[in-house]
Amino acid sequence: MLIVFISAVWLYSNFESHWQQPKYPLMIAVSKTPLSTPFYVAKAIGAFDETCVSVKFDEVVGGQRAFAKVMNGDVDFGTSSDSVIAFQSLANKAFVTHAMFVQSDNDVKLITRTSAKINSTMDLKGKRVGVTQGTASEYFLSTLLALEGLTIEDVELHHYKPEQLMNGFINNDIDAFVPWEPFGFQSDQLLNGQIKIHNTKSLNSLSFNLISVTADNLLVEKAKCVIQGLSIAIDYIASHPSESKQIVMNELKLSAKFIDWVWSDYIFKLGLNQSLMLSVESQAIWAVATQMTQFNEVPNIEHFIDSRAMLQVMPNAVNIPQ
Amino acid sequence: MNISLLQRIFFFTLSCCLLFVLLLGSVIWSSQAIELAFSRNNYAQQLTNQTNTLKQLVANDNIYDSNYSINDWQSLELKLTALLKSSPKLTDQQLTIQNSLQSQNESLKNLFTLINKNKLKNASEVIKTHLKAKLMTQLEAIRSDALHLSAIAQKDIYNTIKNQAIFIITVSAVSILALLFGAFTLTSIVRKSLNEVKHAFEKNHSGDYQNIQLSHHSKEFDSIAIAFNAMNEKLSESTVSLTVMKKIVEERTHVLELLSKTDPLTQVANRRALFERASMEFSRAKRSKNKLTLLLLDCDFFKHVNDEFGHLFGDELLIHICNICSQEIRDIDFLARYGGEEFIIVLPNCDIAGGIETANRIQNSLAKHCVTLDGKEVCVTLSIGISMLSERHKNLDQLINDADKAMYLAKEKGRNRIEVLPAPNLH
Repeated sequence: MLIVFISAVWLYSNFESHWQQPKYPLMIAVSKTPLSTPFYVAKAIGAFDETCVSVKFDEVVGGQRAFAKVMNGDVDFGTSSDSVIAFQSLANKAFVTHAMFVQSDNDVKLITRTSAKINSTMDLKGKRVGVTQGTASEYFLSTLLALEGLTIEDVELHHYKPEQLMNGFINNDIDAFVPWEPFGFQSDQLLNGQIKIHNTKSLNSLSFNLISVTADNLLVEKAKCVIQGLSIAIDYIASHPSESKQIVMNELKLSAKFIDWVWSDYIFKLGLNQSLMLSVESQAIWAVATQMTQFNEVPNIEHFIDSRAMLQVMPNAVNIPQ
Repeated sequence: MNISLLQRIFFFTLSCCLLFVLLLGSVIWSSQAIELAFSRNNYAQQLTNQTNTLKQLVANDNIYDSNYSINDWQSLELKLTALLKSSPKLTDQQLTIQNSLQSQNESLKNLFTLINKNKLKNASEVIKTHLKAKLMTQLEAIRSDALHLSAIAQKDIYNTIKNQAIFIITVSAVSILALLFGAFTLTSIVRKSLNEVKHAFEKNHSGDYQNIQLSHHSKEFDSIAIAFNAMNEKLSESTVSLTVMKKIVEERTHVLELLSKTDPLTQVANRRALFERASMEFSRAKRSKNKLTLLLLDCDFFKHVNDEFGHLFGDELLIHICNICSQEIRDIDFLARYGGEEFIIVLPNCDIAGGIETANRIQNSLAKHCVTLDGKEVCVTLSIGISMLSERHKNLDQLINDADKAMYLAKEKGRNRIEVLPAPNLH
């Protein structure tokens, strides 16, 4: 009887393994930042192999470019921060957020020139500040200024691509800039002594999310598989932090020093909850109120959230009004 | 491997105990696991409640009011921080959420401190509203994490109970099967071995000394078998089996019977056998109205032969006469030594004529075959009296008596002749 039972289990498992779902080839625009660690780890440990997708990465700098690629149809999915989602929602673009996979409360930093003697946000008034338009960089600067009763009108705003912010600073075109990692760290390494990194930890929590164009059932199915892979990767990160760090270091050609610099700020966790919606909404309202955008109306953020894939993978981590 | 029954029983009992301990251990383990999952759930729910209270506070109070007292906020926030520090043991996945909770709480505290610093006196209403929204977002993030934690804990409770139930059912089923198998094997070995021993005893009882052949080997039964087989060997050496004994007795009885009915000299039936057989034939003839004739033969001048040639020759002569008679009679006829040199031949289903014919044949044969002694032929004759069963014969003695009388008549009339009594009608 035991033999029959064991062979039945064996046959079943064999059958299961051979009866695989079709593999959908996918292209994902992944932002070249350690925030994308779950993607790199998933790929490295073969987490996507166990799902219905075979994934290729299109590495881009910044969530905004990833977003553009998604909207152009160059890629199936992309990774974008909640700030990008907030700005893009105002344009009523046809996109949805499937899941949040990482959050950090110290990714975007305010870096000023030592010689400019900027000790507080108040001192930014009239200064030349470099930001990346329509991203967490611009949003963060605006809130910092607002805390002291200032607006972006009170500073001389210069728009840069994220990787060029530092060049603007080196060329002395700007006195301060608001980069995200790894540019904050690179600045610290390259311009040590010339710059001051302000302690703004906890002032801006940023999340990175999986986005796609408005999803049909097939896209939801694909998103489900991507999230399954991410879930495996995130569990791996929790149980193998040093191996995960090594993977990101290799993928992004980063130093151990940098990883240690940012790692403690990151929380890798899958979720789709009310706080993301509130965060997006408040940023959108803020963008409209501070005239950072040409749009005047804040749309219903619920339109940009698609919980179907997450509900299939991790229903526990979904906490939004149905 | 030869395992003793005791060892088997010991292993059996040990296995029972192990299975019991395994079950007990799993129940204890799962109760602890469930208790831990409950404490996690409880922790998560406390966090949710605490966050809800803070949310209410932020929603209802005007935190930018210059008279706003932060005491309520601080005490609630302290409670939340203390609660976050008193987390029960968490899994890796839950620890990630716990880290997130702690980080969110730090952000929350920093944000509130910032808001309260100078009550944002330079800030516009827009940023105030925005920061309040951020505060609510931060609280919502904590609440979401707490809910997530609670959902995981609840799922853990469900999974632990489910897994435990499956485990207990599986272990119980396997245990029952194993115990049944063990009990069956043990019983089967004992029963088979006992049957084999019993069978050997039964065989022994009937004198068939067979060794015990055990199909299952166990130390205990093996020792019984060895002792029994040794005993059997000795018994078979010293004891004649009953079957053999019966056969011997039958053979001996047969020999004795033969001896008791045989005349030791002539090897023909003796007087006792004669009466036995003749009585039977007499009764049968009477009953079935068949004929029955007796010949009484007496050797003429036998005393002279004895005197002249010695007793040994006399004995030889008697044997010779018997041989002649035996050759001349039918299979159903019966020759017996009546006494001394007298013989009787019982002729069933034979009348006087048949009797005379037989008597003649004997006399003729005897006349032709004389006995040789030291090159000299010695011839003897017989006086034969014949009697046939008739109505007047009430018993065998009367019939013999008639034959006897007829024989004496023959002697009187000169010997070597045949006389019949009662005289047949043909004469």
